[in-house]
Amino acid sequence: MHLGMVIDLKRCVGCQACTIACKSENGTPPEVLFTKVLEQVAGEYPIVKKKFIPVLCNHCEDAPCVRVCPTGATQKREDGIVLVDHQKCIGCRACYVACPYKNRIFLKKGSLKKGYFGKQLTPFEQVKYPKWQEGVVVKCTFCVERVDQGLDPACVQTCPADARIFGDLSNPESKVSRLIRQRGGYQPLSEDNTEPSVYYLE
Amino acid sequence: MTKSMPLVGSEFVSGFRLQTEWATLIAAAFFFGKIGAGLFLMSLFTGSWLGALLGLLIVLIGKGGAHLLYLGRPERFWRGLTKPGTSWVARGFWAMLIMTVAGAIFLALPAGSAGWWTAGLIAGLSAFIVAIYDGFLLNASPSIPLWNTAMMPVLCLFYSLLGGTSLTLFLINFGLASVTIQEVFLSNMEIVLLITNLIVVGLYLISMTHATAAAKESLRLLVRGTYALPFYSLAIGVGLVFTLLMAYFVGAAGGPGVVGLITAADLVGHYFIFFLLLRVGVYKPVLGQLTI
Repeated sequence: MHLGMVIDLKRCVGCQACTIACKSENGTPPEVLFTKVLEQVAGEYPIVKKKFIPVLCNHCEDAPCVRVCPTGATQKREDGIVLVDHQKCIGCRACYVACPYKNRIFLKKGSLKKGYFGKQLTPFEQVKYPKWQEGVVVKCTFCVERVDQGLDPACVQTCPADARIFGDLSNPESKVSRLIRQRGGYQPLSEDNTEPSVYYLE
Repeated sequence: MTKSMPLVGSEFVSGFRLQTEWATLIAAAFFFGKIGAGLFLMSLFTGSWLGALLGLLIVLIGKGGAHLLYLGRPERFWRGLTKPGTSWVARGFWAMLIMTVAGAIFLALPAGSAGWWTAGLIAGLSAFIVAIYDGFLLNASPSIPLWNTAMMPVLCLFYSLLGGTSLTLFLINFGLASVTIQEVFLSNMEIVLLITNLIVVGLYLISMTHATAAAKESLRLLVRGTYALPFYSLAIGVGLVFTLLMAYFVGAAGGPGVVGLITAADLVGHYFIFFLLLRVGVYKPVLGQLTI
């Protein structure tokens, strides 16, 4: 099995529901976003074109972050999900710099001491924050806890336009494989040979 | 692409993205690693016991300290030794460790003994790795095209040798070290290394003019943008041109004060060139340019 995601750029409406769903699912501190939707604009008024580009960890097959990690904290599971073991991470940020997609986040010292509403953590934050550690690198896990239960990642489930599709890339009959084949799905920065597990459809 | 794609920060806009994580402390660690290893190598070459000791201390305290200060979890630093098979961070850490241990044995043993030769050889080889591994570390990932070039280890090696030569001359002129080779040879070597470094920096920058759009954006920031002033004044002006002119026209004949000034100028330039190369690192946009 090789889990991956297809993002249909024609469907994305830039609502950031995936961004919020991810934050809600993972309970990440302020300024920590595992996924977000970027905007890209071309042309000048009145001839203007705008595109929304959802970005997240690409869970690359040949992930530079796995290669450069000096401690083995960043590892790839058999199903292709790249995870960071917070207990092993020393916070050297070699992975952060090596990721061509800049989809890793360093949890600075003090980032877990204050929440969205000042120094007092909300009950939600009190429940969610203990799973994080300061001084380590964090990133999207494809919502591994949900995936292990047979569910889709939170961003996929939430997307109102069905722009994100999650599935098994190694199965030629899966929806993701068919979409890639039929619509010419392409990987971001494919020239870097990292073999991302996230594909985009134009 | 360079003209229309913006340079973005944390805003939700697609474009070139500036590297922000590796800056002052990592530049300091690279700096201390290179000058410490360079001084150690030059001290092996010139037979300076004090120089070798200082080189070791600069690597251990300067480089090691800067790395520890930078780590998010310094108490787990030993885990950084775990994966030398694929990680240049781990390889550099191992090289530093071996250099420190072998170097300490080399300094402790009587000169000329078999153990002294062996420890010196091992320490010298590991010092060479400490001097250049930063270049391989930066070169290893395709993420930042400015760094993803074979010129990086070359740049590190020549800067390390230059730093080592300048510091050795400094120690000699301040009466802190006696060496087995003539000082004039070292002075000439410093001039040759300064010219070589100017050429290597020039070639490196020229190679970037034919690189990807992100590398060109980095180059723009360095030579025409925000970082142009410190680049021309500190990294090139003070670090290479002023140092070269002083070393060529005055040199050791000017006395310890001039040698001290040359050394200080060289070190300032050395720190700033790598600091600036780190600061202007730019990531490529995730997807290509949007067209109408």
